[in-house]
Amino acid sequence: MLPARNQEAAAAASGTYSYCSRPRALPARRRYRGAPGPKEEPVRYANLMYDRRVVRGNTYALHTLPWVGSPDPLEIQRQREAHRKALARKRAKEQLQSRTPEPAEGRRHVDVQTELYLEELGDRIIEVDVECQTDAFLDRPPTPLFIPAKTGRDVGTQIEEGELFDFDIEVKPMLEVLIGKIIEQALLEVMEEEELANLRAHQYAYEELRNAELAEVQRLEEQERRHREEKERRKNQQSQLLQKQKETSEKIAARAFAQRYLADLIPSVFSSLRESGYFYDPVERGLYYFFSLQKTCNINRAVKRLKKLIAINCTIKKLIVIYHMINRTMFLGYLMLLNFIRRGEKLVGTRILPIRRGRSEDRIEDRQGPSREQRTEGRMDDRE
Amino acid sequence: MAHVRISAKLPPDIDPTKAPIAFGERALPKLNEELQSPELLTRQRALMALCDLVHDPENVYQAIKLGFLDNLKYLLLDQDSTVREKTTEVLYIMATHNVGRDGFLENGIIPALSQLLNDPVDICRRNMHRAFEIMAELPAGAVGIVESNLISSLVLKLKTELDEIQELILDTLSGCLCVEAFEALATGAVPILKEKLTHPSVAIRSKAARALLGISVPLEGKNIVWDEEVIPVLISLLEDSDPEVRANAAGALMYATITTQGKYAALSADAIPPLLKLVDDETSKVRLNAIKTLTMLSEAPEGRKTLLNHVDLFQGQLNDSSEAVSRAAKIAIKVIEWKP
Repeated sequence: MLPARNQEAAAAASGTYSYCSRPRALPARRRYRGAPGPKEEPVRYANLMYDRRVVRGNTYALHTLPWVGSPDPLEIQRQREAHRKALARKRAKEQLQSRTPEPAEGRRHVDVQTELYLEELGDRIIEVDVECQTDAFLDRPPTPLFIPAKTGRDVGTQIEEGELFDFDIEVKPMLEVLIGKIIEQALLEVMEEEELANLRAHQYAYEELRNAELAEVQRLEEQERRHREEKERRKNQQSQLLQKQKETSEKIAARAFAQRYLADLIPSVFSSLRESGYFYDPVERGLYYFFSLQKTCNINRAVKRLKKLIAINCTIKKLIVIYHMINRTMFLGYLMLLNFIRRGEKLVGTRILPIRRGRSEDRIEDRQGPSREQRTEGRMDDRE
Repeated sequence: MAHVRISAKLPPDIDPTKAPIAFGERALPKLNEELQSPELLTRQRALMALCDLVHDPENVYQAIKLGFLDNLKYLLLDQDSTVREKTTEVLYIMATHNVGRDGFLENGIIPALSQLLNDPVDICRRNMHRAFEIMAELPAGAVGIVESNLISSLVLKLKTELDEIQELILDTLSGCLCVEAFEALATGAVPILKEKLTHPSVAIRSKAARALLGISVPLEGKNIVWDEEVIPVLISLLEDSDPEVRANAAGALMYATITTQGKYAALSADAIPPLLKLVDDETSKVRLNAIKTLTMLSEAPEGRKTLLNHVDLFQGQLNDSSEAVSRAAKIAIKVIEWKP
């Protein structure tokens, strides 16, 4: 503090003003306006705006150099008080100056209420205590609907009947289209069904005919097949029959021919042998030899002759056997030859050997059927 | 926000189950794209709209050209049953048009459809069988079905399916048997058909008889029919109340009695009296088949003997309204009076 004052004094002495102060702690901020703090410290700072020492107002009519000289603080105080008193006197005087004219003789100015209703004036101000308290536990009410203020202008119109369009006229084309489409769709579906039904009917009719014709065809085929098979069988039967007949007739022919051919073979052989003297009466011979033996006693020659005779007998017997064999083989060979020739004939289709006409068996066998064959079989059996 | 619809109240005829159909040329391409969408509802709606459009043959043609069939094939295997139902329905409607059938054959729809043979939902299977039936009515379609080796599975299904579907299967089989019967015979169709001949439902009986007719056209079929002793059952069906059943039974007999053994089987089962009654039937098909069967039987000597007494009946039919019947009557008389 002191050095600050000192500085002030020094500055005042030099003629310029300077102020500086040390930094100070801020006082505690008072909660309530007006209530003074418990311990008030003098205000260290001064607001420039509210500083008395700042010159205000117009500066062109001020005392020049009011701070010239070193005014005593006492002097300053006296000046101030005097100034103050002067002001107070001035104020009182103004107050005392009545604005209204002085009252007349015997009258006094009194303040009177002139309103309609009189008002009691008193020092004490009437105070009324009013309390207000919110309801306990009241819910926050819902926010009211915010309807913004209407802006703009309301305008109304009304369409009278018949103004826009005439329904009956306008609806016609639309109806036509709608109904047309519906009917078209319906017609399509009906036509479809009809088409299908026609198709089916057509198919049934066709199927009927087709089945009938097919059955007919198959039946005829079957018939054809049966007839053909029957024919084949009969032909085979017949050809077999003919074959057998031919064979039997050939057998007969061959046998007869061979028999005839060889019929007088044996008698001729024996007769020729007898003529040649190969056969002898054994008794006679024996007697002869007996006597010849007596004559010449050529037993050896006799024995030789006997042997020769025996041998000749044997050979003759053998010859006979051989002849029989030749007979048979000739017979068989003849048959085979005939067979071959007949087969060849059949293959070639021409006739080499003549058909034996005049043979009763052939003719009859050619004409008649199985019964005859059986009869010929019987005949063959007889012959055999 | 602006919405496509003008007012909040919808007009009364908008169907929320159908996708809105675009105008003109864009209708089908847009539906094609919607069919491929991953969302189920879109696909269902697109299919419902497609069902309606496909009644028009021009749309069918355009659809096939745009390649709808590939998408439909893919959708056939969808998880949702509604999608499958609608897809089979669309395919069925397409099959009723010739363009559709050709498209099916080209794009191999038949094997794809056959994957649904064991589908749990009845409607899907029914539509699928309907589509097959219509395909079988066309010769090329029947060939297609045969080539996809479906006959054996169809025959096996006959045993287990519902009546309605059995009728459709029998129709399909009759169509296919005209093309090729061996596969069906190999799967043992004849015993199954024999069972069906005694089914309470009239339609199934008549269709089973028709299928038997088809089966007994080739020779093996006839032999198997004789082996399985179907002929007496057929003879009992000759007295059925429904003309279709009678006609088909007579037709099946007609084919079965072509072989000799068939003839003797029929004669021993006493076929002639009912057949004679049928010669005067109202339906021309019945008359025709009866006369033909009697012709077959008269080729056997015993049959001829019996029928010599009834020649006048045939002479009555000589002037019949149907040309085929009069021709058949002429042939019958010729055969009966034939002397060996």
